[in-house]
Amino acid sequence: MSRVDLREFLDAYLDEVDEHLANANTQLLALDAALRAGEPTLRAVRELFRALHTIKGLSAMVGVDPIVAIAHRMEASLRAADRAGGQLPEGAIDVMLQAVAAIEQRVRALASGHPVPAPPGPLLAALDTLDEVRTPAPVARTTSGLALDPAVNAKIAAFERDALERGIASGRRALCVRFAPSPERAAAGTNINTVRERLGVVSEIVKVVPVSAPRSAEAPAALTFALLVLTRASDEDVAREVGVDVGSIDVVGEPGTSAPAPEPAVVPVPELHDEERDDVQRRGVVRVDVARLDEALERLAQLVISRGVLAREIAVLASRGTDVRGLQIVLREQSRQLRDMRAAVLQLRMVPASEVLERVPLVVRGLRKATGKAVRLEVDAGRTELDKAVAERLFPALVHLVRNAVDHAIEAPDERRRAGKPEEGLLRVTFETRGTGQVALVVQDDGRGIDAARVAARAGVEVPTTDAALLQLLCRPGLSTRDQVSTTSGRGIGMDVVRRIVVEELGGDLSMTTTPGRGTTIVARVPLTLSIVDVLTFECGSQRFVVPMASIDEIIEIDPTQVSAPPRTGAGSTIALIQRRGEAVPLVRLDRTLGLASADPERPKALVVRRDGDAIAFAIDRTLGQQEVVVRPLEDPLLRVPGVTGATDLGDGRPTLVVDLVALSRISGETSEVRT
Amino acid sequence: MSALHVLFRVGDAEYAIAADEVLQMESYEGATPVPNAAAHVAGIVQVRGRVVPVVDLRVRFGAPMRERTIDTRVVVAQRGERAVALLVDSAREVARLAPEQLKPPPPMVAAQSAGLVRAIAQIAGRMVMLIDLDRVVGEERLDGE
Repeated sequence: MSRVDLREFLDAYLDEVDEHLANANTQLLALDAALRAGEPTLRAVRELFRALHTIKGLSAMVGVDPIVAIAHRMEASLRAADRAGGQLPEGAIDVMLQAVAAIEQRVRALASGHPVPAPPGPLLAALDTLDEVRTPAPVARTTSGLALDPAVNAKIAAFERDALERGIASGRRALCVRFAPSPERAAAGTNINTVRERLGVVSEIVKVVPVSAPRSAEAPAALTFALLVLTRASDEDVAREVGVDVGSIDVVGEPGTSAPAPEPAVVPVPELHDEERDDVQRRGVVRVDVARLDEALERLAQLVISRGVLAREIAVLASRGTDVRGLQIVLREQSRQLRDMRAAVLQLRMVPASEVLERVPLVVRGLRKATGKAVRLEVDAGRTELDKAVAERLFPALVHLVRNAVDHAIEAPDERRRAGKPEEGLLRVTFETRGTGQVALVVQDDGRGIDAARVAARAGVEVPTTDAALLQLLCRPGLSTRDQVSTTSGRGIGMDVVRRIVVEELGGDLSMTTTPGRGTTIVARVPLTLSIVDVLTFECGSQRFVVPMASIDEIIEIDPTQVSAPPRTGAGSTIALIQRRGEAVPLVRLDRTLGLASADPERPKALVVRRDGDAIAFAIDRTLGQQEVVVRPLEDPLLRVPGVTGATDLGDGRPTLVVDLVALSRISGETSEVRT
Repeated sequence: MSALHVLFRVGDAEYAIAADEVLQMESYEGATPVPNAAAHVAGIVQVRGRVVPVVDLRVRFGAPMRERTIDTRVVVAQRGERAVALLVDSAREVARLAPEQLKPPPPMVAAQSAGLVRAIAQIAGRMVMLIDLDRVVGEERLDGE
């Protein structure tokens, strides 16, 4: 196939292959975890097989033989693993991960128009040896005697029986869940696919056997499905989850009381649907280029702006005495529709946070190997979702934090033993939805904590007394806490990069708690979505600005008699002091901070924000109102100034600046003189 | 191969920029000032839904300040993904310049203008300086920080 032909399909091919590669990695890690826990799982093997099978097919279509060759051999090994009930020989996961990496490498080469290298011989040879799978360790079959209905028993294969028995041996219960489809159930939204899906959440489905039965009230379709599953959940939980009676559940086998249940798998893996059979309907999914979503959002943004103009025109009419009640009703209706529309478009851009976490196990696995440290990873994203653009920007920060935790924070096994800790370090990476419009990424380790004195010595400053001050120090560009360059983290620890991404690029904030010997938790709070923000419009030094409502603690009026001026050393000092509910609060003149001509209003107001918990008041001339605006980032290097995060159009066709008062408080506090 | 260039005036001098680097030209209706930005950044304006910085070429080129007139123009220049508006005193002409018309600036001029001028061309007895857009809109550190 010539390159010209190929080009046409290439983008679609690259997109799709990427997705299957990501899935392959996820499944390999799930398999790895399952094998380590002694619970081989057919589900991951089959899922992996499907991913590779698809990659092979797609690659054959565009004629990239090296990829076809690798995928083909992986398929063969997996087929053998499937026959062996999910068992893989020692070291197989490593070889498979290498093979996936080799495919990725070739996909990259293809994407950048380079020749695709032939598959590495040693890799193919290693894959070939995986075929010769040892038969799985014999299960004490004599003790088993699975309580299976003969009709079901006749339809399951030996390896499936093995899988059930091994599951029981590892402490799970084998159940047979019966589900009879009926028109009533279908009308209520319950069918074999939904049952499979729900059952897949609470159990591992080993086999689904359709059993024909005489037509009856119980089985109006003359058909019953027997779902053989392995689970740790109770009958009641399973029944509730699936929406059947407890009476539809038969216990096929239970672990002996003498055998203690082993610990659950160390790396919780995302739950996967069992889709082994073709009768499972795929949900309708459309793949859309993010650029198209951006375009839709941009169009919507223009609509929001023109609505603002319309509202102003109506206000003008009203001020001339025109009856605008009809118009106002339409305007209100339109506002509501715009809000719904906006919610719908933003929803399209949301991706599950679990997608962001998908690659973390791979990163940690690599770090485990590189550092020789034992690390248990727990990831949990719950149902949190976030904007695709936020997810993409946040990911590099996440990788930095994970690297720091494994490379610097978690101690080597012998050091942990001496400290009386378990040899295996714990790293938890989670996403949580925080209030409205914010999501928190939490990276927590149980390592040695951060030695403030050492960091301070290295930076040549006084030892910070609070975690917030320590974090600020850590975020200094170029700060290094290590004497030696390590291969994984380099010399710096990259907290300046994390800060830049979280605070400057995403408009979020970063906080940290650390306890020597106990561990460190870093929380990055970022907005769920970029773009549309609820802001306060205000005037200062005859220029209009907006500030996100979420950042404002309070709007207060300043009583000039309550303002005192602390001693000043710099000529242009802008900081005074006010009292607010018994708290001494610094009052910053925003006009001076921004280098604007001062207007000296009669009754100035102040916007109170909190920086690391402390209140700071900014004196402004007056507030103008509250509204929703579309924030456009200021991307040009000429516009990268502290305290200004973006611009918005309030409907007059000119950009209005979006200010970040917390960032401005830093420049006001650090320089005694403000540039004009 | 001669190429189209947009000619514009800043102070007493005449400059040129390659036409394929120009996105559009507009009259100037003021920009929103950006506090703490470099002195030659007059502010920001909206161009086709994007927010772009306005570089005041009088300040950038060290020309004396003068009142804006109805001739004042914004030349929106584009380099790759980046768009920057150049504030100039006037921009009225387009001219074709052949490579052989473009001469390197005399060394003393080159040194003084710190690379802002890429070449000098003579057009019908007038002298036109071809600007180096990258340098002109180059990333500037605030006050040598």
